Amino acid sequence: MSPTLAVIIKLVSIIGLMLTNGVFMIYLLRKVLGHLHIRLGPMHVGPHGILQTMNDVIKLLTKEDLTPRLADKALFYLAPMIVFVPSFMAYLALPFSDTLKATSLETGLLFTLAALSVVPIGILLAGWSSGNKWGLLGGMRSAAMQIAYEVPLLLSVLPVVMLAGTTDLGRIVEAQAGVHLGFIPGWFIANPLLWPSFVIFVIASLIEVNQTPFDMSEAESELVAGFGTDYTAMKFGLIYLSEFSNTFIVSAIGVTLFFGGWLVPWIPMAWYDAVPVLAPTVFILKTYLGIVLMWWIRGTYPRVRIDQLMDLGWKRLIPAALVMIVLTGVVDKLIVPLVTGTVG
Amino acid sequence: MRPGVDDIRTLVAGAGVAVEAEDALLGVVARVAPHDAIDALSAFRTGGYESLVDFDGTDTGEAIELTWRLRSYSMDCEAYLKTTVPYDAEIHSAWNVYPSALMPERETAELLGLRLAGHPNPKRLFTTDGIPPLLRKDVAIRSEEEVKNR
Amino acid sequence: MSDARDDIVTVGLPAEGTHDPGTPPAGIGRAPTGVDDLATEHLIVNMGPQHPSTHGVLRMLVELDGEEIKNAEVTLGYLHRGIEKLAEHRRFDAIGTLMDRGDYVSGIMGETAVALAVEQLMEIEVPRRAQWIRVMMAEINRIATHLLWYGTMGLDTGAMGPFLYAMRDRESLLDILEAVSGARMMFNYVRPGGVVADLPVGIDTKIREFCNAFDTYVEEHDAILSGNEIFQARLNGIGVIDAEKALAFGLTGPNLRAAGVDFDLRKTRPYDAYPEMEFDVPLGATGDAMDRFSVRMEEMRQSNRIIRQCIEGMPEGEHTAKVPKVLRPPAGEVYASVESARGEVGIHLVTDGGTSPYRMHYHGPSLYALQALEDIIPGHLIADGCVMIGSTDIMLGEVDR
Repeated sequence: MSPTLAVIIKLVSIIGLMLTNGVFMIYLLRKVLGHLHIRLGPMHVGPHGILQTMNDVIKLLTKEDLTPRLADKALFYLAPMIVFVPSFMAYLALPFSDTLKATSLETGLLFTLAALSVVPIGILLAGWSSGNKWGLLGGMRSAAMQIAYEVPLLLSVLPVVMLAGTTDLGRIVEAQAGVHLGFIPGWFIANPLLWPSFVIFVIASLIEVNQTPFDMSEAESELVAGFGTDYTAMKFGLIYLSEFSNTFIVSAIGVTLFFGGWLVPWIPMAWYDAVPVLAPTVFILKTYLGIVLMWWIRGTYPRVRIDQLMDLGWKRLIPAALVMIVLTGVVDKLIVPLVTGTVG
Repeated sequence: MRPGVDDIRTLVAGAGVAVEAEDALLGVVARVAPHDAIDALSAFRTGGYESLVDFDGTDTGEAIELTWRLRSYSMDCEAYLKTTVPYDAEIHSAWNVYPSALMPERETAELLGLRLAGHPNPKRLFTTDGIPPLLRKDVAIRSEEEVKNR
Repeated sequence: MSDARDDIVTVGLPAEGTHDPGTPPAGIGRAPTGVDDLATEHLIVNMGPQHPSTHGVLRMLVELDGEEIKNAEVTLGYLHRGIEKLAEHRRFDAIGTLMDRGDYVSGIMGETAVALAVEQLMEIEVPRRAQWIRVMMAEINRIATHLLWYGTMGLDTGAMGPFLYAMRDRESLLDILEAVSGARMMFNYVRPGGVVADLPVGIDTKIREFCNAFDTYVEEHDAILSGNEIFQARLNGIGVIDAEKALAFGLTGPNLRAAGVDFDLRKTRPYDAYPEMEFDVPLGATGDAMDRFSVRMEEMRQSNRIIRQCIEGMPEGEHTAKVPKVLRPPAGEVYASVESARGEVGIHLVTDGGTSPYRMHYHGPSLYALQALEDIIPGHLIADGCVMIGSTDIMLGEVDR
């Protein structure tokens, strides 16, 4: 198989994954929120409404594509692309198993986070170019938030990198293999030193994906629909597809960094080779568990205010993340070697 | 609860305003001349009536009768102040005395065809330009032709 | 006055009056500053009438400096139906239908106000059973109204869940109201002289069931929102309307009680069967959004208490007094007011001896709450503005009338 063909196959499968994933996640979101809210969610199209999202996709594809008169036309078209492409790129480095991944990047973690950090620029563009004041406010919020949360997000994953000694997502997973004391999984979440970092990571990634306590840039009760107010049809569809896809990605990163990626503790490594679908299935199930947890929060919590969010980002999360980096370094490189007598 | 008629008479007259007070079915009503209304309201305010709870007007067929409903929470009683102004008159805003008069005054002026003086925002409140003062008795809710052609 | 509706008013503050000056509302009389020293432009945004958190069709012209609201002007009239004019052409027993469409969430209270006014004019003695039914229905309606407010309060702060939980309870209340009056929202149940029909057989079991279930549900509601750290941070100290300001702007009802003024028409001007009921009037301390929230939550508990007393002690008797088919009150003028869920609903009724009112003025508390909002919103963030609108519980149906 020629390398070009392999690349094309990989890209097409990522698009396929992204679309099916998006369609499934929308259905799942409606059902999860529905049952959280003592209602049923979609019930009419297909058994238990499973075809509802299909209907909606067709609706989005066939709807009239409106461009507001005051919009900056070029940017208005460009913005959904700028939102969509980075979240597409972010799939490249995700390890679904030992072998099933698009690329094996040395800097996989940084690459994924960097790709995601382009999304707010697209949102800012979308808000600004639509010539709508609510859109503008939403876009500006998104830009202000990006600075406040990207830093703690990146800082919060550094302790993991220090422990694993690599930013390659695949090797971070491998570093979590095995069990402590015979039954505790070797996942990084089992390490109390990383718990504060995990909390910071969860908060920062909720902001990253615009989930409810922090969904300022959309904030339907304040800003109508924020940056997306004037978007219709598939441009709207692309923005929301990328939002769902980002949710998947941050959950996948969380699973990779803290919950052992595709690893199941207590089973021998040979099983993964014997049953090739085991690792990807485990990985996706864990990721969906993370997503459902995010939606649980989304279905219950009120939204914080933008200035409270800024306070949280700058005054709490960044200092806390910095402290955790220092602490992890001291404990891992100084105290642990001293105690176990492996200095040098 | 009703205050004493004499109390109200003394209260309003204390501001140097000619007043007729009576104990009607409505409550204790003080009647003053239109140009004295603001002074009378000030007297009410300084006399312990903290809140203007309602303001409205009635087209009596000859003139517009304005009614202020005032409440004293400390004395636990209500009093009414009435004045009669001619059609299309200019009334002076009482918002300096009772800020709660701001919107009801706009409403009354608009729906009864009065003009507001000294109001910070004397625009129409409910209807658009060109709508006649709806609460006047000479404005029919449906013209006779429309009723006939129904 | 011509076509200035779309502009923020540029009239300056009136000259210093000779009278004791009321506090000028901060939202009024300030010209848009446009450009300040830093050459940043202020954004003038139309908030409403289609904005999600303006509770119906409120429209506010909001002048923004970044996220901060510099100036807010309320523009009304999107729901103006001329109820006061229409009432002049309705028979006295048919005005209730108009009142239902005024404050369309708490119709029973509005109907009661009209009924009280007509009864006062005609000196009708309402049978005891009718009074008890009225009180019970009004309290059921009050809980239903507060539940709707509770749900939208959640939505305004961005929480989706509470709304649907509130709707679950409201649904059973509407079922009860429907079983009694035949309609879920437009009841026209309370008429001059009593109520239009007696309670249906077996309704007491349904109401008792609800009362028992609601005891736990209301705690659940309280816990979901007021137990939430974010919700507290959003409401504490926001939108303070202290007692002085509340009185100046003529606020009534829960908004006034949240500022610590102990005034509830059910206690101070008892009507119907309220003198026989045992209930407490919850009071707030500072008058911020959280106080308004807590006062309404506690009111729901107290209403539940009243409903329970009504269902246990419902007297036997007629459900309506003997009144003529066509009501013809003597010429006169009365003012009747009731404690509605949002505050004092007043009916100023002027009659000329005919079969319909000569003039009926409908006083709704929300118009006065809006004036206070105009005053407190400037200087806050957009998100706080939404919380303030939500916490004062305005109802545009009774503002525009």
